[in-house]
Amino acid sequence: MTDASNAANIMAEALGTFMEEAADLLAQMEAILLQAEDGACSDDDLNALFRCAHTIKGSGGLFGLDEVVRFTHVVENVLDRLRQGTLHFDSPLISLLLGCQDHISSLIAAVAGSGEMDVARSDELIGKLQAVLGNAGAVVAAAPPASASDAEPTASGGGAIGSDHWHLSLRFGPKVLQDGMDPLAFINYLNQYGSLIHVETISDTIPGFADADPELCYLGFEVALRSSASKAEIEGVFEFVREEARIIILPPQSRVSQYLELIEAYQGEVARIGEILIACGSVTANELEQALVQQHGQDKRARIGDILVEHGAIQTVVVEAAADKQKRSEDKRSVEAKSVKVPAERLDALIDRVGELVIAGVGTHLQIRGINRPELLESAELLLALVEDIRDMALRLRMVAIGEVFSRFPRVVRDVSKELGKDIELKITGAESELDKSMVDKIGDPLMHLIRNSMDHGIEPAELRLARGKPARGTVELNAYHESGSINIEVKDDGGGLDRERIMNKAIASGLAAAEDNLSDQDIYRLILAPGFSTAEKVTNLSGRGVGMDVVRSAIEALRGTLDIDSVAGQGTTMRLCLPLTLAIIDGFHVGVGNSHFIIPLDMVVECIELPPDVGDMEYLEQRNEALPFIRLREIFGEQGPAHARPRVIVVRFGRRRAGLVVDRIYGKCQTVIKPLGPLFAEVPAVSGSTIIGNGEVGMILDVPALVRLCAGAARRKTPAMAQPALLTH
Amino acid sequence: MSIQVDYEEGRARVTLSGELTIYTAAEIKAALATTMADSSELEVDLAGITEIDTAGLQLMLIAKRNPGKNVRFVNHPEPVLRLVDLANLGGALGDPLFISALESQGSPA
Repeated sequence: MTDASNAANIMAEALGTFMEEAADLLAQMEAILLQAEDGACSDDDLNALFRCAHTIKGSGGLFGLDEVVRFTHVVENVLDRLRQGTLHFDSPLISLLLGCQDHISSLIAAVAGSGEMDVARSDELIGKLQAVLGNAGAVVAAAPPASASDAEPTASGGGAIGSDHWHLSLRFGPKVLQDGMDPLAFINYLNQYGSLIHVETISDTIPGFADADPELCYLGFEVALRSSASKAEIEGVFEFVREEARIIILPPQSRVSQYLELIEAYQGEVARIGEILIACGSVTANELEQALVQQHGQDKRARIGDILVEHGAIQTVVVEAAADKQKRSEDKRSVEAKSVKVPAERLDALIDRVGELVIAGVGTHLQIRGINRPELLESAELLLALVEDIRDMALRLRMVAIGEVFSRFPRVVRDVSKELGKDIELKITGAESELDKSMVDKIGDPLMHLIRNSMDHGIEPAELRLARGKPARGTVELNAYHESGSINIEVKDDGGGLDRERIMNKAIASGLAAAEDNLSDQDIYRLILAPGFSTAEKVTNLSGRGVGMDVVRSAIEALRGTLDIDSVAGQGTTMRLCLPLTLAIIDGFHVGVGNSHFIIPLDMVVECIELPPDVGDMEYLEQRNEALPFIRLREIFGEQGPAHARPRVIVVRFGRRRAGLVVDRIYGKCQTVIKPLGPLFAEVPAVSGSTIIGNGEVGMILDVPALVRLCAGAARRKTPAMAQPALLTH
Repeated sequence: MSIQVDYEEGRARVTLSGELTIYTAAEIKAALATTMADSSELEVDLAGITEIDTAGLQLMLIAKRNPGKNVRFVNHPEPVLRLVDLANLGGALGDPLFISALESQGSPA
């Protein structure tokens, strides 16, 4: 951050967003209160009412609007009582709350510059509210005013590799040549999928002339490939040699740590591997150096370049040059970052049209394929390829760096840590990872909740940390990286971890789980996402009221994402958000069940296998010595149409979970423009949208995360497949 | 495939023609070993090579790994150049490579 004015602009922009949000929330509060006056107020409404006040308070605290926070906190207390049922609506109370709602509104308006904050009015209303609460003593002290931003957060960049290409590390079996395979022919064949940027032949393992057997293969290869092919396609090239060979394929944007693993795997064998990676352009010297420093801790500050020079592998000049080059290209990037502002709705309109173009293009192509006119087909194929390019480019127009969201968190962490009296540091990595603008707008609030939650519940007080042998200063890490068509965002703390027992007890007490339920750790952790769940012993200004985590979950699910929770007692908790990169157009995998068509997002497809005939009624099959749970789409959707004698299993993956989906037919890859389903289908859990397939028929887009979860749940319960309820009757 | 060995002034000139592949690698290595026993300076003429694969390329590397014996490859034909270039081994082999203007444009004479 060089220019403070830039930061001020961002802050002003964010404040504007807060104003808009607050206006919406206040309108919602008013509507609910008015409804309550008519005697029609459900539990959901009470929850929503409480959440409105909670959100305003939380966001207000973020901007240092202390008066808003002080006042809203008392309102929130009253709403909390209402929600718990220890207080009931009556006409004077509703009037009072409406008055409060107006007052919050005027306080926020005062922030915008139209008038003074009426503190006297706040005190008057607080007095009335406390009379309702019956505890006039508990006035909440205003939060200490926020001083000028002095502590700059330590954001360490370079979490994900900036290069845009695949890195392949190939070590073939010694007998590969005798088996009639030619490794270099495979590498040459990779040209079919993209362009080879760099090949490095590892010949260090060739023995001396006398001992070398010319019919054994001693060579290894490190290959940098620029390609838009999928991992499966690239793996497919090496299908016939895979058994004997060690083949590591790192997708574009792999994390530095994965390259480090690669380096470590080969270090004994080839000391130059670091240099080779740099030569391939797969990592830059800078990135490698940063990563090594991170990995080996502060004491080992040796630059990778120095290490390499020590090994006699590389000239200092070369390292400097590589580092310089990297720096220059980054400078260049920041120049290019100055860009054209386009209204979001124009982009949306463009992408909508591109979507229609894709469907029309596929349809035309399909018809042309039906008539025997090769020259026409050729130009149609060219057209389709161009349309696909335009689609990709149009989608890229909407990609923005996630740093836009992250930029508001350092302030939050700073203020909140002061408020909690904890010393907490925020580390941000991968702020340059890109995702769809519409997603960026929507993940801010869920992330804010997760971070606050980590700070409040995760990080222990300093004394306890010291007693546990941890540094007094707690760390919250915010980490973003791309992985197979989705973006992962981790909120990681080095706090006490989740208390399995306490969550379980609380869940049993509130009826969310039964004592005899045999739940996995993951399932227990997921309980904290249930509405109204909080194990915090003391309710703080920030969290502990059990609001938030359920909102986080529904917000993430609305974005077709998942939230995984990992926790190690005493060491910390990691919340991992996995989101698709875009919401508009995807590459789909077209399958058929009975007479229906389904689309599986291609990024989630791992492989296709045949369903073993002997699997019977079991709900899992054995694949490479691992149990793979599967479900039959035919049963899920109550499909009646003609079945296939030998059904196929599509192995899908989301986050860390894998599952099999049994289908009748496989049609292959297709472009899929996602059309949202109407409210009529809102209750269908396994379908996330619909699309028009090239031949004009409607295909359902499967909600893979939901199916995978269903599958995992079904496998654990070990109920017979027949007991699966049909979710949708055809 | 044919291997022809001529000696002149303590230097051996090995002329290879035909395939330099997994099918001929063992035979060529044996011939090179015999030649190396007689002479420590070898010049291997590749002009007649019509086909080369990974095994052939590896054999070129292996031939370089005999301490005390100096093996040079000369007259690399287009298929050999192409594979050396693909594997990025020009530097490791260390032999001067002649790339004609026509070949470098991708249209071998």
